[in-house]
Order: sequence, then C-alpha cells, then structure tokens
Amino acid sequence: MIKYIIRRLLYLIPVLLGVSFIIFVLFNLVSGDPTAVLLGKNATAKQMAELREQLGLNKPLLDQYFDVVKSAFTFNFGYSWATKQEISHMILQGAYPSLCLSVPAFVIATILSLIISLVVAFYRGKGIDLFVRIMCIAGVSVSALAYILFFQYFFAYKLGWFEISGFEYGFPDFIPFVALPAIIFILLSLGPDVRFFRTVILDEIYQDYVRTARAKGLSEVVILLKHVLRNALIPIITYVVIQIPSLILGALLLENFFSIPGLGGITLNALNSSDFPVIKAMAILSSVLYILLSLLTDVLYTFADPRVKLK
Amino acid sequence: MKSLMLVLSCMLLAFACSKEKTFDEREVNLISPEKISGFDPINASDRYSGNETGKVYEGLFEFHPLKRPYELMPNLAEALPVVSADGLTYLFKIRKGVLFHDSPAFKDGVGRELKASDIVYSIKRLADPKLNAKGWWLLDDRLVGLNEWRTKHSTTDKTNYEEEIEGLRKIDEYTVQMKLKKPYPQFLYALAMPYTFIVAREAVEHFGKEFLNYPVGTGAFVLPKFEQTSMITYVRNPKFRDKFYPSEGEEGDDKLGLLADAGKKIPLVDKINVHIVVESQPKWLSFMKAKDDLLEVKDVNIQQTINSKKELKDEHKEKGIRLIMKPMLDVTYYAFNHEEPIFKNRKLRQAMNLAFDRATYNRLFHENTAFEAHGPVPPGLGGQTKEFKNPYIKYDLEQAKKLLAEAGFPGGKGLPTIVVQTRSDTISRQQIEFFEKCMEKIGINIDAGTNTWPELVNKVSKKQHQMYTMAWGADYPDAENFLGLLYCPNQSPGSNGANYCNPEFDAIYKQATTMQESPERTTLYEKLNEMVALDAPWILGFHRTDIYLAQAWLKNFKHMEFNHSQFQYLNVDLEVKKQLSKKF
Repeated sequence: MIKYIIRRLLYLIPVLLGVSFIIFVLFNLVSGDPTAVLLGKNATAKQMAELREQLGLNKPLLDQYFDVVKSAFTFNFGYSWATKQEISHMILQGAYPSLCLSVPAFVIATILSLIISLVVAFYRGKGIDLFVRIMCIAGVSVSALAYILFFQYFFAYKLGWFEISGFEYGFPDFIPFVALPAIIFILLSLGPDVRFFRTVILDEIYQDYVRTARAKGLSEVVILLKHVLRNALIPIITYVVIQIPSLILGALLLENFFSIPGLGGITLNALNSSDFPVIKAMAILSSVLYILLSLLTDVLYTFADPRVKLK
Repeated sequence: MKSLMLVLSCMLLAFACSKEKTFDEREVNLISPEKISGFDPINASDRYSGNETGKVYEGLFEFHPLKRPYELMPNLAEALPVVSADGLTYLFKIRKGVLFHDSPAFKDGVGRELKASDIVYSIKRLADPKLNAKGWWLLDDRLVGLNEWRTKHSTTDKTNYEEEIEGLRKIDEYTVQMKLKKPYPQFLYALAMPYTFIVAREAVEHFGKEFLNYPVGTGAFVLPKFEQTSMITYVRNPKFRDKFYPSEGEEGDDKLGLLADAGKKIPLVDKINVHIVVESQPKWLSFMKAKDDLLEVKDVNIQQTINSKKELKDEHKEKGIRLIMKPMLDVTYYAFNHEEPIFKNRKLRQAMNLAFDRATYNRLFHENTAFEAHGPVPPGLGGQTKEFKNPYIKYDLEQAKKLLAEAGFPGGKGLPTIVVQTRSDTISRQQIEFFEKCMEKIGINIDAGTNTWPELVNKVSKKQHQMYTMAWGADYPDAENFLGLLYCPNQSPGSNGANYCNPEFDAIYKQATTMQESPERTTLYEKLNEMVALDAPWILGFHRTDIYLAQAWLKNFKHMEFNHSQFQYLNVDLEVKKQLSKKF
C-alpha cells in the first residue's frame, strides 16, 4: 500500500504540470489585460504599460509559464495584485472561518443523512419513507438563497436566537456566528445526501447476501448496520470525500450573507478584480486537494472492503 | 429526534456565547459594504477604502464637514497656502505638534512629530514608479520635475527619495514648497484626497510589504493592525492634537443639532466599529436590530425605507430613525463608441436619447429618487444650471422616429444590431432589458453583452465595444471631473471610454481647466455641459440620490460626498440609545 501511495503522490507532478499549463493558458494567454481594473477608473495607457512590465506580463511566455509552475510546486504564491496582501496569509486567514463553518456542519450533515437513510431504508415503502422522500425533493427544489433569506430574517432577526452576521476568531467566540449558517448548511445538504445514501443502501438491501442473512435469522438492524452499511460504504466514501475541497474553498453564499470572512469571499473578490495570483493559488490548491483526497478515498476503500487491494 | 436535539444544542451554545448589549461604551457602529483592500493611502481608490484610510491618516486639507457647497479647510496644513502671482508656486506651512501614532516603527515605539519632510516623502511615494500607485493620475504631469524623477527611477534598482525635486521641496522643518508645471485649479482638492494622506517613512520601511496592514498615521483613530475580518475596530488616538468641532456650518445645521458639539475637542467617541457586510439583507437587519448606527440604503432596501411620497415610513419614524436623502455628485450614462462609423451620426444619437423612457426607468430602478441628467455635470457643481433643459432627454417617440429617419435609418432600417456592454448582475441585466425595449419601439435592435466587471473594463479600455453603460462619481467637487470624460486626449484606456473627440469642446475644456474658480470659468463649464447635451455623445441617464438611515442617537452625521475625514466628528447620545433600543 505504501508503494501505491507513493506512486499516487508522484502522480501529483504531471497533474500539477497540467494544471499549471491550463492556468497559464487561461490567465496569461486568454484572459484580458488586468491592468485597467487594477489601476482603477483613471488609468492611463502609460501607467498600464508600466504596470504590465512590473507584474511580469511582458516577460517571455515560457518564463511566465515557469513562474506558474514554480508557484504550484513551492506553494509560494506571492502577493495579491489587488490587495497587496501576502496570498498564503490571506488563504490561511480565510481558511479558518470557512472551516469553522463547514467542517462541523459537514460532519453533522453526513452523520444525520446516514442515520435518516438507514431509518428510511429500514422502513422502505412505508409512510416515513414516503415522507422523507417528499421532504428531500421539496428541500432540493427550494433555492439555497431562499433558505438563507428566511432563516436569517426569522431566526436571527425576528426571534433573535442567533447573530445576524459577522465573525469572531477563536473558540468558542465563533459559535454564535456560525451556528445559524451551519444549520442552513446541514438542511441544504440533507436533501441530496439522504436521497443518494438511501439509493445506495436500497441497492444493497436487495442483494443475495442480505436474503441469506435474513434466512439465517439475523435481525434487520444487525443486517443494516453490520452488512448493508459496510457494503454501501464505498460509494458513500467516494461521495463524501469528494465534497471536502469545496468545504475548504468556502460556502460562498453563506459566507457572503453572514459576513463570514472565508475563502469563498476571497475567491469572488479576486475574480471581480482580475487578481490572477489569488485565482491561480486557489485553482492550484483545489487541484492538489482533489488529488490528495482521491488518494484518501482509495485508502479508505481498503478499510471499508478488505477485498480492495491497493497495488 | 436526534436532529432536533442537535439543532437545540447549537442554539443553546449560541445563547451561551452571545454577548449582552451594553450602553456604556461611547462607540459608533458603521457598515462598509465592501471589503477593504488595505490601508495604503496611495492605493485608496474606492470610496470605502478611502473612508477607512481617512480614520487613521490625514491630508494637508480636508472638506468642511458642514459647509455646502463644499469648502476646503486646513488640516495638517496650518492655513491655506500662499500662492504666487502666476498661480504656480504654493507655499504650505505645516501644523506644529502633530504626532504620528505610536508604533514599533519609531524609536522606543513612540510616534514622532510630523515634519515637512513627511509631506515631501508621501508625495514622492505616490509618484514612485515601483509602487505604481492607483492615485498617480492625480499628480501626473503636474509638479515640476516629479515626472522626470519617476521616469528616471523606473529603470533604477531602488528609488532614491533623497534626490531633490524642483517642484517639491522642504523649505524648513515646517514649510513645503510645491511648484506646478501649469495652472492646476483642482490642486488643493488633490491634497485633500486619501491618495495624498501623509505617511511616516519609518513605518513604510519598518513594515515593508506589510505596511498596508499596519497603518501609522496622525488621524483621530488608531488601528494597530488591519486584518481582513468581518469587523475593523478603531480606538481613539490618545495623543491626537487639539482639534475642535466646527462652530459654523450651512444654514439650518443649527436646527438639525449639527452644531451642538461646536467647539468641543474631537474625536467625540472612543471607538468606531466598522462591520464589513456585503449583502443587502444582513445590512438592513443589523441596522433594524440597532446593531449599526448608520445605513447606506440601496437597491431593494429603498422600498422598505420610503413611501411613495419619498418620506420615511412611519414604522421607522416610531423608532426615531432619521432619513437623509441628498443628490449624489454622479452621472449614469450609455456611451456610444465614437470610433464606430454609425455613431458619428448625431441625429441617430439624439433619436436614441429621445427614445429612452427615463421616467419609467427611474420608477423601476431608483424608486423615483434619481434626477434625470440634462448634461454630464450634476446639480450642485458650477457648470449645471437649473435653467438649462436638455431637449433630447424628454421621452418623445414621434420625434425620435423622425430624427431616426433623418439620420438615414427610417424605422431602424439599415441599422445593424447594436451590442451594449454591461455588467452581468441581476439589476444590470434588468436595466439593459428595459433599454432594449425602449429602443425596440423606434425599430433599433439592441443586444446585451453581459460581463464581469474586469471584462467590461477591459472591453472599454481596449475600445472593443459599440456601446457600454457606466456610472461616474466625483473625485472632487469640480465639473472638470465630469467634463473630462469627454475630452479627446482622455480617450480609452483613459476615462473617455466613448472616445468622443470634438475639437471645439476640447479647446474650451483646455482653457477652462487652467482657470481658477471664477464666474468666467463657470460660464465655460456651462457651455461645455450644454454642448454635450446637444451633441449627445452619450445617452444621458441620471444623477442618483444617496439615501442614509441614521439611528436617533447618532449625532453629527451630515451627508457628505467626500467623507474620508467625516467620522472623527461623529458622536452618540448614550441616554437616547438606552431608551430607544427597547423599541428594536
């Protein structure tokens, strides 16, 4: 397995080269000139030319590509063009509020969804199953924005149970600020998660080995928790782990509406201000995360199913 | 059941951690609707960064917080400058005893006195080619020797700040001389803008690239370290000099209670909290929950604020909330790209102006709070007269069709589909759809090109557009700032995105911009404003209105277009706050 992990980690090299190339093409070749936006409404042609020179946009294309590759491998992303802040500091600072909101919400949402899915699988075809299915469809049919607007208005403003917006660093100071967005996050996740988990679990429930287990006289609860859940874990792990990069990149809408200074806002600001170094940094980081997490998924498979061997 | 338990435990935890509201702190709570991009004055290009910079840094001059029309008053300068007879040499006396904030950048961490060399350094810093400041345009080609110094150091490894510049000299510890290349009537306005606020060289060198996060100014408030969080907290500068609340203002200010603190030493509050809130709903709810003292009302919240008579709704009056509505110094417009051959046709431009239903647009998108623009210069500035009525901004489809036919395109025949570039947000899309419908009525087909802000700016700066829509806000209270949008040498990538070139307009503009404020100059501005109205290089839009809501306990807030230094004058009435907070 160690060899497999090392080999997969080595795959990072060609993938990062590929990602660097795509980023280079997108931002250094295809995208427009960022200097007009960076210099503001009174930019002059001369000043734009000077800034292009200063930002290295007049360098030979090969050198520019090499700069992107270098930042991808060293994680030294330099300074933001728009805010002049150090990008690694910006990312670290933004990651904390994003994680404070999304990690607990994600863990709770996943566990809750699994529990609900097992319960409805147990009572498949009965009233509770139908009720949960209807709720899930209703849940995913309403836009996230509607939940946010209503919950913020009703629970934070009308009832005053939560902070309307803002964020404070440090535990437990951040809790009153992330509690309501976390609840919304959980509610938003329940619909799609329960639907997916229920389908996966029901796929397993009709397998021969379940019938055998029942014939042997095992209780339905034991069958569900010990046999069905374990066999359903592979698609569940894939589904869950693949969502993690998006947690780190921030829940943009929630962060914006609750004024949580997370990575979602940083990325959006960078897009609006042609801040290419920040966009590049976020793109590289999400690619690396994606690769590492897909590796983690593979490793977790071996724990979930002993038949899976990493070679 | 378990989910219910989890939700309940979250709520309980939230309750446990919530802070009780207290009324003993003399603090002001404000909102910034945009993230702040740091505290380096030379890059404080947007209104909101300028407002924050103005809490810690100061300039030689500032706008009087109460007097209107806007009036400059000395700030770090002891008095208005002595100007030579040719209007080119300015002698500034610096106020004595002004101290920089305490900072590790200084010896023993104690802020030193502001000197003339700081003024020279700060202006040179604005011109430093290695910093490529956003505010450089303000002094570009203005001071004798400054451009040469900038050009020289664009190729050197290090910028030499010791090098003397003829147009920017320290005469003694408290005197600076600045020499202009040519008359620059807006020069003192430039020295009141955040770009020219004064920084300490020690701080710039000590913090290096992190300087923008460690503001060390001379202002009324101190911010030891700036972090990109959801709240910025400024505390009173304990060493702030003796500066007093003004004792005179505009007529009526006394009745509004704006002179109640006259003669008192400022700042009047101990703390300012600025909450960074981007979205409309949380801004509105926080204000209505009395968590914030002042709210800039925009878009969807206008309807919640005022009734059809443009008066504050009763439910807000009951809470003592005040409504402040004042016209902005701005203009919105649809610009033609005059490099496109079809737009050289004046009658076509005039016809399109006449087909734009401004009254409906104002009702739909501004709740009838905006004013139709008769020219580019907004009311309140010399250059715009009440008497002048632009004949092409009325909604007259018959006249529009007639002019379109005279232009050679009867019923729009022969005209290609015109693409108007705009932003991609919902309101911009709705606005362009409305514009499309207006033009459709005279047979002109419009297509919307939707863009992110960077894309739109790029297209305009590279002349890759037929038409685009934009708004322009004043940098300083002078019509030149608006008329320059149509001055030929300013064409793209400059501020004249319409690429309009009219030799007659240019000649008058050139003459007017070298004249000091005078009735003669105002007459020239008026002429230029009328020329624009009749030649129709844009489809004129509106001068919008600033709408603010202020809590009853917030004192001394007066609408101000250039409010970088206004916050030092604010005050709160804690007794009123305690009483009224129960209503929220």
